[in-house]
This record gives sequence, C-alpha cells and structure tokens, in this order.
Amino acid sequence: MASNLGGASISQTDDFETFTPTTDVEPLKRAWRNEKAAPEILPYEASLVGRIKEQIQAMEDSIEEYSRSGIDPLIVSLYQMDLDRIQFLLRSYIRSRLQKIEKYMLYILKSDELFRRLSKEEITFTDRCRHDMKKHFDESVLSKLPNNYQDVLKQSITSEEDDMVPEPPLDTFVVCKSKEYLEHIQLEDEEERASSRIEEPFEMEANVLHIIRYRPIKSLVESGRIDLL
Amino acid sequence: MAGQSDPQLNLFSAEEVEFVAEDEMLEIVPNMRMDSLHLICGDYGPFYPQIATEVPLWLAIALKKRGKCAIRTPEWMSVEKLTQILEAERDSQGSFQILPFHYVEISKLLFDHARDDVPDMYLVRSLIEDIRDVRFHKVETSLESIDTRTSAVKIKDLSAMEVNIVRPFVVRALQAIYKHGNPELVPDQDRITNMQTQGHEHGQRRPLRRR
Amino acid sequence: MYGRKACQLVTELASGEKGQLTHFNSDLFEQVISECQQHHLELQSLIRKVQEEGLDLQTTKNEDHFGALIHHLALVRNKRCLMAYVHNRAETIRSLIWKLLGSMIPPEIQEKLSNSEEEYFKKHSARLKEYMSKLELDLTVDMVPPKDPYIQVRVLDDIGEGIVLSDDKTANFALHSIHFLKRTDAEQYISRGLMEELRG
Repeated sequence: MASNLGGASISQTDDFETFTPTTDVEPLKRAWRNEKAAPEILPYEASLVGRIKEQIQAMEDSIEEYSRSGIDPLIVSLYQMDLDRIQFLLRSYIRSRLQKIEKYMLYILKSDELFRRLSKEEITFTDRCRHDMKKHFDESVLSKLPNNYQDVLKQSITSEEDDMVPEPPLDTFVVCKSKEYLEHIQLEDEEERASSRIEEPFEMEANVLHIIRYRPIKSLVESGRIDLL
Repeated sequence: MAGQSDPQLNLFSAEEVEFVAEDEMLEIVPNMRMDSLHLICGDYGPFYPQIATEVPLWLAIALKKRGKCAIRTPEWMSVEKLTQILEAERDSQGSFQILPFHYVEISKLLFDHARDDVPDMYLVRSLIEDIRDVRFHKVETSLESIDTRTSAVKIKDLSAMEVNIVRPFVVRALQAIYKHGNPELVPDQDRITNMQTQGHEHGQRRPLRRR
Repeated sequence: MYGRKACQLVTELASGEKGQLTHFNSDLFEQVISECQQHHLELQSLIRKVQEEGLDLQTTKNEDHFGALIHHLALVRNKRCLMAYVHNRAETIRSLIWKLLGSMIPPEIQEKLSNSEEEYFKKHSARLKEYMSKLELDLTVDMVPPKDPYIQVRVLDDIGEGIVLSDDKTANFALHSIHFLKRTDAEQYISRGLMEELRG
C-alpha cells in the first residue's frame, strides 16, 4: 500500500512494488534476501545471474574507458559504486548458497527436490565436496570402527533409514511478507490439525510482515508469492 | 556448531539492512549541470541546476559529498509531520501512522552525511527516537501476548532495522513454543551437529515475558 | 562408565570458543575408538552365546540379548559422538577457509589439525577455488556491503604540497585543510595520525 506523503512517493512496502522493475538489480536483491533468509537452498536463478554477470562485465569495460578518456574521477567513482553494489549482491547470493550446500550436502544429494535446484557448477561442487568429506570421515572415524558401523549415513546397518544426515531446519520461523492477500494457508500438519490447535486456515494480509514457520509457506516462497526478509 | 549462534537468527547485519535502505529513492536539487548517469541500477539525469530529481539514497549522498547537489529531506522528516505522527502514535492503541519501512535507516544516513540539508536536525532526530520508542513498546506489548497457541506473529510499524533486531528474540520464542508443543514433530536434526541443548542466550533484553 | 569419554570429547567441543579450534584430541579420540572395539567384541560374544544355546536370535529376550543391546547402543552413541566431533570441527575448518582463502594455512591453526583435517582443509580450499574460477567470481571479497570509496578528511599535520593521488589529482595537504579523496589514498595518513576522517 503506497502512501503519498508530499512530493516523494515513499511507500510502506518495498520500493520495487511501486515502480515497475526495469533493471535486474531488484530481482537480484530479492533473490539475495530470500536465499539468506530461507533455511533450505532455493532454486538457482540461472538466467538472472547470467544477465547480471554480463552487465557487470559491460560496466567494468565502461569504467575503464571512462577512466582512460579523462572523465572526472569523481564521476567515474559513481559508476564504480553502482558496480560495487551489484557485485556485493551477486557474491553474497552465491556465497549464501555455497554455505548451505556445505552444511547440508548429504541431505541435498539425497533429496531430488533440492538437488534439482542446484546449478551445474554447484552440482559438481557438491559432488566433490561430498567425496572429500566422506574420505575425511572414513579416515578419521569410520574405517576404525567395527564392521556394520562404518556407514556415513546410517548409525549402523540395523538403522532403517539414514539417521545421520543433518537436515535443514524447515521448522524455523522466518519473517515474511506476501504481495497479495493469501488465504487458506495451512500452518499445521495433518497430525496437528487432528489434535485441534488451530481450527481455521491462516490468512495473510498483503504487505504486512509476519513471522511464521517456514515449512508451511515453503512452496509459496519458491513460487515467488511470499518474500522473506 | 557447538557454541555458535544459530545462523538462522543472525541473518542480516546492520550494514546489510542499511545497504538495502540505500536504494530508497529521494529528491535532490543539483547545483550544476551534469550528464545522465547510466548505471546498472537505473538511468538518472540529466541533471539541471535547481531542477529537483529523484535518485537512490546512496547516489544522493555520494553526489552531495562531491558537491553536486543538495538533498531534499523527505516530507515525512519534518518537525511538523513527525510531531503529528508521534502524537497519533501515543494516542492510538493500534498504529496507522505510516512511515517508510526504512525510516530509521534513511534518517540515520541523512543525519550522518547531509545534516545541513535537514532543517531542525536535532529536533527531528529526537522526534524520530521518540516515535521508535513508542512503537517499540507497542510491539513489545503485542509480543507479550504470544502464548502456546501462537503459531504466527504479525509485525506492524517496525522499521527494517528494528525487525532485524527483534527477529532473534521472536524466532527463538516461537521456536521454543513450537518445540514444547510438538516434541514428536520436530525433526531431530540436532543429533549429529549439536550434541547438547541450546544454551541460554546471553542476557540481552528480551521483549517477551513468560507468564 | 560407558560413554563418559565420548561425552568428554563432545564437551570439549562445546566449551571451546565459537569459531576457534582446539587441538585435535587424538588421545581421547583413540580411546573412544578402542572402547567401540571393546563393545563390539562383547556384543559379538554375547550373540554367539545366544546362538550356542540354540536360541533364536531375533526373538530371544534374555539377559544376553539385552547385554548385547546395551553394547550396541553404547557403540552407536560413541559413533555419534565421534562423528559429531569430526563434523563440527569440519564446520569450523570450513568457516576458517572462507576467511583465509587464498592464503596458506597459518601455522597456529595447522598444529591443531589432525592429518586428515589438514588434508580436508587443503582439498576443500581447492574445491572453492575451482568453483570460483568456473564462475569467474571471487567470493572472498565483498564480505560486507560496499561504501563510497571517497571520504572527507581534515589534515591534522602539515603533510605537504603537490602530492599525487591514485586518481591522478594533485593535492596540497596544508594544515586544517579539508579534502575529498579516496579512502585508499588517505589510509596511510590516517593511520599515522596526520589526517582524520570527517562525518556529516
């Protein structure tokens, strides 16, 4: 909801909702925020990253040209600042993803859903990291343990499932906002509803901050209808 | 990692919140002619003396520092407007006085880098501090009503910086409530990475009082 | 008492300073490992006993069965502690790698790592570098949001005239004069107390 206070139209909401995004900076900023705030890795924004890298390259070339052609360094520094800002966003976005991969690599490799969200290079990275990590565990611990207890994913061969894999904490609470009014959000799982915690489904007003558990809104974040802050 | 704070709780640094705020648009009044700037984040200008135009905050401050412009303080940052808002906040129980989401960061940046463009700066600053206090207390009150049936919290009228500050407290509280209410439903991912329970957090002021 | 040593290992982890590594406690580690071997031997002999008595392994619930179970559970618990020890240290190692990428392992950290950890440090650093070069993106810079490269300073001491800066401008740094220049140019003077940064 935008409020016009005098000349400047400063809105309660994020700026990109009040004017149409014509640059890739806003989508990158959004991707960066969501990735930082989400407990699990989100789908990779391949085309966005591709375009941003091109724009960065073009700007680096321009800046070099401006410097050479004697444009006031103070003005050139403005272009440099713009470039620095977008480079920070891009690097932080990629870093955030890598750190999640490092933390949950075993789980990601086991989950089709999450695995599909990786870029090609990230897949290679994850694979190799897992190899390194497994080797490290084998050498440090597992090879020294008795047979039947040497698996990295299971506590022992009597375990029914992989019970030693760290999982992303989907039940953590996140700050979020929806662009539109959303109704019928199920906050509880089947079992919880059965034990009657909350009767009606939750609804979210547009552009109001909420703190909710991530798991129930997971798919809304992935589809872009809810943003994390 | 044992002893390390949960990364979910220290998501954005204060610098990062400020960084986002720096993209907010505001008006400048150039004092000289300047060509357009074709930045990745948008095209701005051309700039003519005394003709006001909108640019992102970071650019406004940079231009001002380079002696190219004066910054037009946003209309909400006037003594008159802020006094109105403060009075309305004090009188009302709810909050329907609208300030930009980044009002705290925007005003701080202007105080730090463009104080001569802010009329009655000290008064404006103290009014903003008062508004923050009143709003924060309202939020505290609503947070106190979090109980075992709470599964979501609505936040209204906090600036981005305050959301960032309040986040760890509220998230931890809601997490604790959720865990205690549903011991079977919380996946035990702590088994390997955290062999001991979370320690009690450092004695920071918690806006939440248990009944 | 079963599990005490493993508990010690984990406690050591928890009591360490956040983000810091202690020396890899190979003594204690090996002790827990040999405890595991012990448990396994006991476990096996108890199972054999049940089998020798002609009882069905799956359904017998006598004291030997439970004895074996206890050994199994103790073993598994030890394994979890050992894994947690290695796993958490590996996490710390990775966070150190992010801070130090590009440089060699500092000796004070190297001496705290086990051989396998040192290998892992090198390997993981290489993986990150591999990834960064594929993306042509240096991820070790820009850890914090960027600021204006130019700052305003006041000269505190007569520095001199005609000083050429990195942007090819010349400056006369007379006492009390105020200048707008690149932070990188000013730093050497600021650190020597010859200039101060101005705000507002």
